[in-house]
Amino acid sequence: MISSQICDLLGIRYPIFQGGMAWISDGKLAAAVSEGGGLGIISAMNADKNYLREQIRTARNLTDKPFGVNIMLMSPHVAEVAALVAEEKVAVVTTGAGRPTQYMPQWLEAGITVIPVVASVAMAKMAQDAGAAAVIAEGQESGGHIGELTTMAIVPQVCDAVSIPVLAAGGIADGRGMAAAMMLGAQGVQMGTRFLVACECSVHPAYKQAVLKAGDISTVTTGRRFGGNTCRCIKNTFTRNFLKTEYLPETTAEDIAELGVGSLRRAAIEGDVKNGCLLAGQISGLVREEMPAAEIIRQVTEEAEILLKGASLWVK
Amino acid sequence: MTLEKVAEMISEISDMEASEITTETALSDLGIDSLDIAELVLNLENEFGVKLEMDGSLKTVGDIVAKLDALKA
Repeated sequence: MISSQICDLLGIRYPIFQGGMAWISDGKLAAAVSEGGGLGIISAMNADKNYLREQIRTARNLTDKPFGVNIMLMSPHVAEVAALVAEEKVAVVTTGAGRPTQYMPQWLEAGITVIPVVASVAMAKMAQDAGAAAVIAEGQESGGHIGELTTMAIVPQVCDAVSIPVLAAGGIADGRGMAAAMMLGAQGVQMGTRFLVACECSVHPAYKQAVLKAGDISTVTTGRRFGGNTCRCIKNTFTRNFLKTEYLPETTAEDIAELGVGSLRRAAIEGDVKNGCLLAGQISGLVREEMPAAEIIRQVTEEAEILLKGASLWVK
Repeated sequence: MTLEKVAEMISEISDMEASEITTETALSDLGIDSLDIAELVLNLENEFGVKLEMDGSLKTVGDIVAKLDALKA
């Protein structure tokens, strides 16, 4: 059975996290992943504390296993949700889209294990200095907000730079990806897109179908021109219009921010797969079947185990 | 003193020459992204032996210099 320091650290069976996906990772999905032996994560996204409290309650009603909350640091409600997770004493907090150091003292004081998502060595070192128990090194193969480095490049560099455990994210959807990540030095993996199509995921069925139908070159990145808000999503009318506008000479950073407003909700809740923003990773082409979260975890870990056991075959 | 060192460190990660950087220079005009800023903050922390909080109050090079001088004092 695959196990690592991350399992001991968090009291989970398999070193697999489910990524925090805005409008998608709710209490129900997080509980299903945790029940399956991984670490489910609720996305606090741009919502206020009442939404998050409700999702935490939902998860606690469905599982007594540990789960996490992902705090999006660019959220207008970041201060109140940061305080709520401390009050609720959730087991794990992961963070995205920024530097979490100002909120970390209150989380650590509440006994929370803090695991920031990082996109560079400098961010990983800062997280370690601030008391993070581990970091998630995320490559730009991921869906949603991304950095510049690929998973293959960032994971070993972060592993070399910090002494805390590292999880790999971005472009991982099966046992091959997990085994490769562990060969790069990761102690576990985080998957988003693969769990987006879990049976327990409440995202609109049309969004799921779009991911299941997507191929290797189905995703593009938007928001690169002005930096700081680059997102990977599935090509559709929304991305074509976005990219056309993004590169017009007269377009400003404010116009770009305006273009994105409401687009996630349109896709995830309303199921508008043409005019909504379908965040998904490059690995969408490998995701072919909807199945229960526990089954996803079982398949991925079993396959990784076979591959890792066979790794010695390469050495003559 | 602090400005010169900060300007030198910024010039290493941007297209601007250290001599072009003043206290008025806005971070948003440096043509660097948030990952570069994280790198800069880490380098500054190591150089000056302080902890810098990137909480949005640092908008210009002058803000960084003032913060560093205050932390060192």
